[in-house]
Amino acid sequence: MTFFSVHHVSVQRTKLAAAAALLALSALNATAAIVPSGVALAAKQELVRNNGSEVETLDPALVETVVAANVSRDLFESLTATDSDGKVVPGVAEKWEQKDSTTWIFHLRKNARWSNGDPVTANDFVYGCQRFVDPKTASSYANVFGPFLLNGADIVAGKKPASALGVRAIDANTIEVKTDGLVPFLPELMSNPNLGPVHRATVEKFGKDWTKPGNLVSNGAFQLKDWQVNSKLVLTKNSNYWDKTNVQLTQVTYLPVEDENTDVKLFQSGENDMTYQLPTGTYAKYSQQFPKDIRNSLILGTRYYSFNNRDPLLKDVRVRKALSMVIDRDLLAQRVTADGQTPLYGLLPKGVSGAEVSNYEWSTWPMAKRVEEAKKLLEQAGVKPGTKLSFAMNTSDYNKKMAIFVASEWKTKLGLTMDIESMEFKVLLKKRHGGDYQIARNGWVADYNDATTFLTLVQCKSEQNDSFSCNPKADALIKEAAATTDLAKRTQLQTQAAKIVMDDYPMLPLLQYGLPRLVKSYVGGYSLKNPMDHYGSKDLYIVKH
Amino acid sequence: MKSASLAPMLEKAVAGRSPWQDARARFLRNKAAVVSLILLVLITLACIVGPWLLPNEFDSTDWNATSVAPTLANWHLFGTDDTGRDLLVRCLIGGRVSLMIGALATLTSVTLGIVWGAIAGFVGGRIDNAMMRIVDMMYAIPYLLIAILMVTLLGREFYLVVITITIFSWMDMARVVRGQTLSIRLKEYVEAARAIGVPTRRIIARHVVPNLLGIVAIYTTVTVPAVILTESVLSFLGLGVQEPMTSWGVLIQDGVGVMESSPWILLFPAALLSITLYCINFVGDGLRDALDPKDR
Amino acid sequence: MWSYTLRRVLLTLPTLLIVVTVCYLLLHATPGGPFDGERKVSAEVLANLQAKYHLGEPLWKQYLFYLDGLLHGDLGASFRYADWSVNDLVLRALPVSLTIGGVSMLLAIVIGVALGVVAALRRNSIADYTLMLVSNAGNAFPSFVLGPVLILVFAILLKWLPAGGWNDFQLRYMALPIALLAMINVATVGRVTRASLIEVLNTNYIRTARAKGLPMRTVVLRHALKPTLIPVVSVIGPLAISSITAAVVTESVFSLPGIGKLIVNGAANRDYTLVLGLVVLVTVVAVLLNLLVDLAYAWLDPKIRY
Repeated sequence: MTFFSVHHVSVQRTKLAAAAALLALSALNATAAIVPSGVALAAKQELVRNNGSEVETLDPALVETVVAANVSRDLFESLTATDSDGKVVPGVAEKWEQKDSTTWIFHLRKNARWSNGDPVTANDFVYGCQRFVDPKTASSYANVFGPFLLNGADIVAGKKPASALGVRAIDANTIEVKTDGLVPFLPELMSNPNLGPVHRATVEKFGKDWTKPGNLVSNGAFQLKDWQVNSKLVLTKNSNYWDKTNVQLTQVTYLPVEDENTDVKLFQSGENDMTYQLPTGTYAKYSQQFPKDIRNSLILGTRYYSFNNRDPLLKDVRVRKALSMVIDRDLLAQRVTADGQTPLYGLLPKGVSGAEVSNYEWSTWPMAKRVEEAKKLLEQAGVKPGTKLSFAMNTSDYNKKMAIFVASEWKTKLGLTMDIESMEFKVLLKKRHGGDYQIARNGWVADYNDATTFLTLVQCKSEQNDSFSCNPKADALIKEAAATTDLAKRTQLQTQAAKIVMDDYPMLPLLQYGLPRLVKSYVGGYSLKNPMDHYGSKDLYIVKH
Repeated sequence: MKSASLAPMLEKAVAGRSPWQDARARFLRNKAAVVSLILLVLITLACIVGPWLLPNEFDSTDWNATSVAPTLANWHLFGTDDTGRDLLVRCLIGGRVSLMIGALATLTSVTLGIVWGAIAGFVGGRIDNAMMRIVDMMYAIPYLLIAILMVTLLGREFYLVVITITIFSWMDMARVVRGQTLSIRLKEYVEAARAIGVPTRRIIARHVVPNLLGIVAIYTTVTVPAVILTESVLSFLGLGVQEPMTSWGVLIQDGVGVMESSPWILLFPAALLSITLYCINFVGDGLRDALDPKDR
Repeated sequence: MWSYTLRRVLLTLPTLLIVVTVCYLLLHATPGGPFDGERKVSAEVLANLQAKYHLGEPLWKQYLFYLDGLLHGDLGASFRYADWSVNDLVLRALPVSLTIGGVSMLLAIVIGVALGVVAALRRNSIADYTLMLVSNAGNAFPSFVLGPVLILVFAILLKWLPAGGWNDFQLRYMALPIALLAMINVATVGRVTRASLIEVLNTNYIRTARAKGLPMRTVVLRHALKPTLIPVVSVIGPLAISSITAAVVTESVFSLPGIGKLIVNGAANRDYTLVLGLVVLVTVVAVLLNLLVDLAYAWLDPKIRY
């Protein structure tokens, strides 16, 4: 249950919400590693984890990728934080309440400090957030998170100055956040380092070099000790962190190893305690070889194929439906990818808040029936067996395997042949964003835990809509949901919108992302219930081994 | 010894032996080279004819028989890969691609390299300088960009793969040939030939080229594996073989990841590639020995 | 000789200019830009990014801007690694590649020449075939197979060495990558040496030396070695260049922060400034190494004069 999935609300929901917030808060005292009783800790609390690639930046305003976000969360703590299960917990703010539908008040704790001893004040947050949306900073996530805050969208577009942002310091320890419309997941949103504090004096003193080791001032559980690009990034415990007594690790080393095989080899030889992912097709083998180290959890991510809804062959919804119906997603999940991913029959992955997941009704039919129905649809649409489809993907073993499977499904069941074109990643992006394809491989991971992060994929004018599909009714419902102040209604509207859109078959959903990895059994605190794949090092510890 | 016994010998016309016949005889005496040549021919034949004779298709997936170890059942003599496709047929089909591209791309890049290097080395002076500076420059250009551009602008045709590979592979041979030519040009017999007025063309044909053949033969055999592997890198970028078509390089790449759990997926294509390369090496050595004008 | 060297060094500048211009055009002609991501950026953000990095201006203006920086020794800021300047990145990656590539090259030369000489002297014997079989292994097996095999044997099974990573020039971490590159280079050096020595041993003046009754060792070392090395040195040039600047597979398999990976990733990310900076570096390396090879010719063959 996520923090704000309050379904049954009364008219005086603001009071209830505030009460619920305080209640939930009092149940959680510490936010860092909670070591279960009876577990003996190792003397050396040092962790080496692979991050999958070199971070693009350590400047929290410019963080774009999961890779950089991981390190950023260790270095910087925002108003709120998330625990190892992905639930929102207090960060620098020890409590908060929602004054009205668009106003939130956050109360900062008095003992929060930067790594150089300076106290963390409300102004640090105002500076950080304004800097984040400022066009001069040119953060590419400014228009993802920014629009949720009052005037955020206008500031990013250059229409208003950064000082107009709805983040204001009431006093040194109180912050008022005004949102643009109802944002029930605002506390979770504010846990992102992009919307966190930045030490102004450091940035002004060092300019572009403020993130280098020796210059960087952080307020999170860790501080930056060493950073060798493409080699390693070393963090040490921040002795000025307010919750430092609960932080067990004294050192965290992030590796930027991209080659998955190398990653696993480092794990095997003991140089690495946590891999980033696993090489394609090795899940079964490594589960057997390292039964105590294999971990797998479903996250809020989807693998799907984009249909170009403008393509002459795919214009007809019957064709798209037929193509979607015949894919045996169970076989895909169990035999082909075989790494814990689950079948996906809709836009939304399981576990997302703000809407209910719905599957196609034919997902429960026996395959023979589905194929029969699909063949009928193709006939009606005038598509004969032998027709060629073209599929674009970026080169990767995983994509290749999935594509081979899908191609063989369409060949054996519908008699259609699929031309697989693999290409370099940026070339694929250009084709997809530009609509220069017929069917393309795609994937999406949630930026925050709410259905809107997925709905943006299918909205009419959305930039993330690579299918060029448009359902005005669904769009209207989504707009209505964004404007309503009733949480239950919002959920209902969004659920409906998702369902309507999916009946248009704008895309071909295939699997929900799972993240299998190898984590040494002596690493504690790794929860399998983390939907956003945010594993802060402050929650991890080394068990005696 | 009576002189009469010599007469029959003298009466028989003495058939002259051309240097090429000499070379062939010498080559045939080199056992390693001959065995290697036979092996190469066998492998090539298997790649061409095999897929027609074998019952399995190279692109028929079988999700119930993925990563099966080699077995006699279903003619899966090399086992199956991770999508259930028969590995033996895929190795042979892949061999067609690798051998063909290997041969063509090596031919073009070696030819370009020899011509470039020989001219530079023989003419010398400013032209040599300019030509070699161009070689220096070619080393610096990132091949990734060129490959992506080629795919985008010109498509994925087969001959484009050959051209792209050639673009990156000719420089080494050019430098090697130029170095050799430089030293040959200054040898006494070349100086003598020039002194008596032999035209440059004949000097090149008679003196320079024969002395280059040795190093060219050796370095060509070094170029072949590089070319075959470059092809697999290019197919990653979309230039070259695309699924379900494959090549040895691609098969080997796929096999490395599952080396410990399904070793046959790596073993068979790697073995085929390395046997082929070893054979080419021995044939190259044999050719060098055979063509060396001084090797008696 | 010195004026020749000086002339060659000076020639580096126009060479650099041409290469940089060609690569600059290539980079901008390649589809996809540095800010193309899975998540499409909005038009406003794209405008902001382009303003920040001067990408909105006409190409020739950007080009001149870049050249201006280049003349002042400033290679620009990286797009992909936003916190670092290209100078930083290049200067950090260079020593790694130089060490791994350089040491492996030296090893390959010493071992390769030795193997080739012995094989040539014992031509067509079991020793010859065995030596060639062993040395050619580096040529017959792709590096992305040999590398993981080395790791499997030495890091996983025997646990003698780490499986990868870079620890500030610590020998344990450099051993396997150097071994891999050396293996690959030994194959070529060995074969060329062998072929070359066989050829040289058949020349008239060597025959004369042997006829004079000189011991084989003197013949080889004093008379045959230098001419033998001419094609070997020709081959070493390109091998050294690629070992230092294009050892992508080695760097990926062993996770080393070297130039090869940086170039490939830079091109894949369309990190214009980083790629151009590396192109400058590779050009300088190629020019220098080829110059060294050409000077070596003069030393090995007294008739070659510049």
